[in-house]
Amino acid sequence: MKTKIILDEEEIPKEWYNIQADLHTPLDPVINPATMKPATPDDLKAIFPMELIKQEMSTERWIPIPEEVRDIYRLWRPTPLYRAHRLEEYLKTPAKIYYKWEGVSPPGSHKPNTAVPQAYYNMKEGIERISTETGAGQWGSALAFGTRLFDLDCTVYMVRASYEQKPYRKSIMQAWGAECLSSPTDRTNSGRAVLEKDPDTTGSLGISISEAVEDAATHDNTNYALGSVLNHVCMHQTVVGLEAEKQFELADDYPDVIFGCVGGGSNFSGACFPFAGDKLRGEKPDVRIVSCEPMACPTLTKGLYAYDFGDQAGLTPLMKMFTLGHDFVPAPIHAGGLRYHADAPILCKLTHDGVMDAVAYHQNEVFDAAITFSKTEGIIVAPEAAHCIKATIDEALRCKKEGKEETIFFNNSGHGNFDLAAYDAYFDGKLIDYEYPAELVKQSLAGLSKI
Amino acid sequence: MKKIGFLVNPIAGMGGAVGLKGTDGDAFVKAVNLGARPIASERAKRALQDLHLRLRDDDLLMLTCSDRMGEDVLKETGLLYNIVYDIHGKTSAADTREACKRFLASDVDLVLFCGGDGTARDVYSVIRTDIPMLGIPAGVKMYSGVFAIDPVAVCDLLEDLFSHQKDSDLERPRIKIRDAEVIDIDENAYRDGTLKMEVFGYAKTPYKPTLVQGRKFVFYGEDEEVSKKAIGRFASEFMRDGSLYILGAGTTTKVVADALNLKKTLLGVDVIKDGRLIKSDTNENDLLNILKDEKSKKIIVSPIGAQGFIFGRGNQQISSKVIRKVGIENVIVIATPYKLEQTPHLFVDTGDADLDRLFSGCMSVVCGYRMAQRKEVLGARKVRSLK
Repeated sequence: MKTKIILDEEEIPKEWYNIQADLHTPLDPVINPATMKPATPDDLKAIFPMELIKQEMSTERWIPIPEEVRDIYRLWRPTPLYRAHRLEEYLKTPAKIYYKWEGVSPPGSHKPNTAVPQAYYNMKEGIERISTETGAGQWGSALAFGTRLFDLDCTVYMVRASYEQKPYRKSIMQAWGAECLSSPTDRTNSGRAVLEKDPDTTGSLGISISEAVEDAATHDNTNYALGSVLNHVCMHQTVVGLEAEKQFELADDYPDVIFGCVGGGSNFSGACFPFAGDKLRGEKPDVRIVSCEPMACPTLTKGLYAYDFGDQAGLTPLMKMFTLGHDFVPAPIHAGGLRYHADAPILCKLTHDGVMDAVAYHQNEVFDAAITFSKTEGIIVAPEAAHCIKATIDEALRCKKEGKEETIFFNNSGHGNFDLAAYDAYFDGKLIDYEYPAELVKQSLAGLSKI
Repeated sequence: MKKIGFLVNPIAGMGGAVGLKGTDGDAFVKAVNLGARPIASERAKRALQDLHLRLRDDDLLMLTCSDRMGEDVLKETGLLYNIVYDIHGKTSAADTREACKRFLASDVDLVLFCGGDGTARDVYSVIRTDIPMLGIPAGVKMYSGVFAIDPVAVCDLLEDLFSHQKDSDLERPRIKIRDAEVIDIDENAYRDGTLKMEVFGYAKTPYKPTLVQGRKFVFYGEDEEVSKKAIGRFASEFMRDGSLYILGAGTTTKVVADALNLKKTLLGVDVIKDGRLIKSDTNENDLLNILKDEKSKKIIVSPIGAQGFIFGRGNQQISSKVIRKVGIENVIVIATPYKLEQTPHLFVDTGDADLDRLFSGCMSVVCGYRMAQRKEVLGARKVRSLK
């Protein structure tokens, strides 16, 4: 029995999978808040290159991956699919546990799968600088890496809570030549507005997105790049799931249940959409696909399915998503990448339509799972990825109780080598189990954008 | 020039080692007979021994009492001091109060005392909220929120408070002032095994809010006032639901009333509905009468300081009968992250053991705007076994 199921470099996918082609009903349109009409490519071209706008709106099933991008993918792709023999033995479960390991990329996560093509398309269209936000620092590092490969400048607005918790992420971005700022900053109108209201704010992804979008919109040579949420971002990540499908074929297996952590939703979308496509087309109707999120920011489990802005200041178009409200600032949990008020519209639609499901966990139980994983499989995972390890362990124990030999697959999206402060806090008993007071919020929710 | 009023309760803490749970009243004589030794001056010395080195460039004057109520300690610390109150013979609570009056008259910036809850109460009875107070922990009972964690922390707090430095990265003062409960418990009842606690008021006390350091781990802490306001804003939003709200005592619940532009009694239990104050400073009977005809009713309380009692201390008006009438599912607990950090568990001691049991388990505590933390609630029986 193999531990690693490995593909040859030539088997790096040549096309991304666009799940929009297989949706039973089309995605609700993105709305321009100024006109309250569906957004057009023109509405987006101030901050995005045209090729990405086309991908965003495309319903073609397969989109070719440029050879220049595949060449860079070769630095770490295809990533291994692991069979977690030691975790299975430890849990004494009849379940088979597989995970895709995305931590082997230079920035240490799945994020460069989209950072590289985004940088590439911007370079092709003559853009000189890209601005972006980062939560945990994984996306910022990945874009710093991607832009460096195509000689672009990069400005990263990093959520203040993470900036202070993970100073070495900043160093990494600098090593790849990017400028990394603690957001909110006093460089943008939206940042200044937040600081004026609350100088001690911990920041949030929503606030940082506002700053990065404003930076791009006010500089001609600058475009914006988003590390998650958008359709084209989720599509770039499908290299993960497409490889996994081939690897499962080699193992002569297929998942009964798939777990992934969800902040904006890109890593899990990438891992599960090819499988969700099988489900949508009726080829694998029984595969369960479950998003794992933090109790502190339980978008899919406690949010409202409604149109909302993607950022705090309301600069983005309106998208139909599960949302906790764009003005929601999540508690400063260590899984910074999961502190986002909404999720990718496609993933939200699939959840709303019952194709996918979701669960939420507290911080301490998530770290319990991460420690079990490190002691059996050896990898110190990022706190974000630990959420789906918690789900996997629970599922494997259920299989043990019920005597079922199910196949569990999760996307191990990144390593936690820069998250050791979080591990320290866990060991010191200082991790707080934040949660979202859903009932009280429901009582007070009148402030959501009304459409 | 900065001025600190400094006093030592020389007999504080003597009852502890001999199992007397305090030195109020006759207990002191008993303690001495049992061989108790003074500990307060040693602890005060430990707190102040390095202060003159840390504040070398700053003008600091200590105002104090003669002999063992302050002078003896300061003599050995290298700090500049003036005696503003002379003691004669045996010291008592009256000496503490008189010294504090002199401190106030001399415009001190802070009163630093060494003692326990009884001393805190005496200091507070004079200075109220005019100036901040800080306790060097030396008593047997230290339920009040005005004490530093240990004597060494006192030196850190004073250095940050008076050295005018700012965190270079954050550009804001390193020290903030917060409200803290001044609490005393009935020593006689406590000796019999009953914890009877009374909140006397809310003093001002310095604390370090911005960076809470724990073994290489920097966590971004919220400012106490900002958190309170966020809780108040959230509460004012969810309280528009037409329910009747019983609002417990304390500064956190007061902020909820502030957010609704209502005047709340700080130590009392008030009733609010549809943004209007129905009745303030209620007792149990008032509450039971008001609840009679109400369909939708809720209770908002905040735990007492580091002790963590949500019912049974400080707001006994909200009795077990009242809670049963409202329903425990309608109890909303609010507290700032800082307070929760100091409060490992929540406690309930309503006097109704069955009701207390219903509370045990985990509870969601609102700690910010649309933000909560999960906290474990323990019944009162567990409380006693933890002491």
